[in-house]
Amino acid sequence: MIVDVITGAVRYGACVVFAAEGETVSERSGVVNLGTEGSMLTGALAAFAVTVWTGSPVIGALAGLLGGALPALLHAFLVIDRNADQLATGLSVTFLGLGVTSALGTGFVDEKISGFDPIAIPLLSEIPFFGDVLFNYDILTYVALLLGPALWWFMKKTRWGLILRATGESGDVVYAYGHSPRKVRYMAVTAGGALAGLGGAQLVLASTLNWVENITVGRGFVAVALVIFASWLPIRAALGALLFGAAVSLQLQLQARGVNVSAFLLGMTPYVLTLVVLAIASRGQAQRMPAGLKAVFAPGGT
Amino acid sequence: MKPADAATLPAPGKTPTRRFDPRDLLASAGWMKWAAPIATPFVIWLLLPVFAIDQQAVITRATPFILTALAVALPARAGLINVGGEGQLLIGAAAAGAFAKFAGDGIPLIAMVPLMMLAGAIGGLLWSGIAATLKNAFAVNETISTLLLNYVATLFLGYLIHGALKDKESFGFAIGEQIPESARLPQFGETTVHFGILIAIAVTAGVWLLIERSRWGFKAQVVGGNPEAARRGGIPVGKTVMVALLLGGGIAGLAGAIELCGIETRLQTGMATGFGYIGFLCSWMVAHRAAWIPAGATLLAAISVYGDNLQIDLGLPASTVYILMAAIVLVVLAYRGSSTGKAISR
Repeated sequence: MIVDVITGAVRYGACVVFAAEGETVSERSGVVNLGTEGSMLTGALAAFAVTVWTGSPVIGALAGLLGGALPALLHAFLVIDRNADQLATGLSVTFLGLGVTSALGTGFVDEKISGFDPIAIPLLSEIPFFGDVLFNYDILTYVALLLGPALWWFMKKTRWGLILRATGESGDVVYAYGHSPRKVRYMAVTAGGALAGLGGAQLVLASTLNWVENITVGRGFVAVALVIFASWLPIRAALGALLFGAAVSLQLQLQARGVNVSAFLLGMTPYVLTLVVLAIASRGQAQRMPAGLKAVFAPGGT
Repeated sequence: MKPADAATLPAPGKTPTRRFDPRDLLASAGWMKWAAPIATPFVIWLLLPVFAIDQQAVITRATPFILTALAVALPARAGLINVGGEGQLLIGAAAAGAFAKFAGDGIPLIAMVPLMMLAGAIGGLLWSGIAATLKNAFAVNETISTLLLNYVATLFLGYLIHGALKDKESFGFAIGEQIPESARLPQFGETTVHFGILIAIAVTAGVWLLIERSRWGFKAQVVGGNPEAARRGGIPVGKTVMVALLLGGGIAGLAGAIELCGIETRLQTGMATGFGYIGFLCSWMVAHRAAWIPAGATLLAAISVYGDNLQIDLGLPASTVYILMAAIVLVVLAYRGSSTGKAISR
């Protein structure tokens, strides 16, 4: 049971890891992207459609990257060049993504694909307990597990990571330093959307293996919530996403074991858990928030 | 004058020009400022037959959109982004349904519909109270909490329909009980249009008065404009924010009760799907100005009803209409720029 829950946490949490890391990159540059949900949807459909056409999940995952980047690019244009409200624009981009994927996705509802197979790492996957928990996933899930530390290294140890973080704190400083904060933000938002798209790809190629309308059911919004919970730190964001995955996994396990609690109540737990961790962590986050985000999150004075 | 400054000044004899703004046309004629928001919904409505859209269906569809848009607009003027209309509407409908089932017997005929509406409003208000409490007590951003609560509300309605509010005579089907005849909203003559539109218009007028003409509305606008200035000016920011969000939730809950009593007549999963989100788009489309919300709601209702036709004729899913709606709102957002978004240039 415990092994099932933990492996499930990784399997169901991986797509949220991608989205949360993407949102971390975007918010660290000073742009909140609620279009993450939309990027996950377009990425998922692009990945699914391309996998159906080509039969190759690898090309599908690449299409997912591209599919997720497009709505983010639209968001970037509107908030950076047109100075539109970030939260409203992000949500509208999500609705656009929902509409487009619903319309284009009708033809794919009955399609079946063979997605990524789990790759058991030789020897390591033989270790009892840890072998199953750590070394028996599909390729995208391994990428997701490594993404948090990789992003931490990028942001903390590289020059470009420093420029990214500085852009979120003060665009003027970056400008004075000789870089264009506009370009940095464009790249960060688009890269963030691409990661969310890869998250959508992971969802359809490694987890559900089918397509239904609105397949992400709020996972992109959960990712945005987790970034705040994680104080904009990549490794913590990944842990938060895995916690969400654990809640999904646990409620599915309980349902499968025929626990006498309504499936609807169990289905609420991942969202309620996200709200609870957000409630615990939100106070005092204003100090840790990139300074560029204060204008977006400040209304209401908290 | 130094040459460096000369470059930034307009050439002599030329008045500085600014970009064309369609609102200038309205400002130039004072009476149009009043007439335009009232006339626009009628103009749209009269044009509907040109596009073969059912006029009666548009009125009944615009009713919840007006209310869910007001549920966004009222908190928005206090600087809040309430994306929870979807969930608040469903909980309002569930509250009204629960009232009809458990307290509906023995209530005088004339009081039934008003009490259903009240139950709905209270349901929505309590649901938005969760987000308001999370904001005031735990500093949780209301945009994210209301969004997540929508998913919780959908599941909670499913739980109620499969459990406490299930119709015992429906056998296998999970569906709410039929509300009593006395709880139905009356309809205009021989039409399919129910009285909900009158409630929606009355609430629109009420919200307009509250925001534009009341003391509380002024305070809320100060809070929305600059919370720090409001705090220093002695306005209780936390309380104002809380009340704005609660009122918004109440209005969305009312929309749920109207849908139940006017259209659905029983609770079911998938009822009013997307109505809260469309209200959100509507409110942003008209920059949260209550007077313009009926116009925006009529336009979006026309698109929504047209989408129903597409769904039947072409087999496209209902969510397809989001493409057009979101595109309109994105164009509006791009054109208007924003006061809350940080100015990003260079």
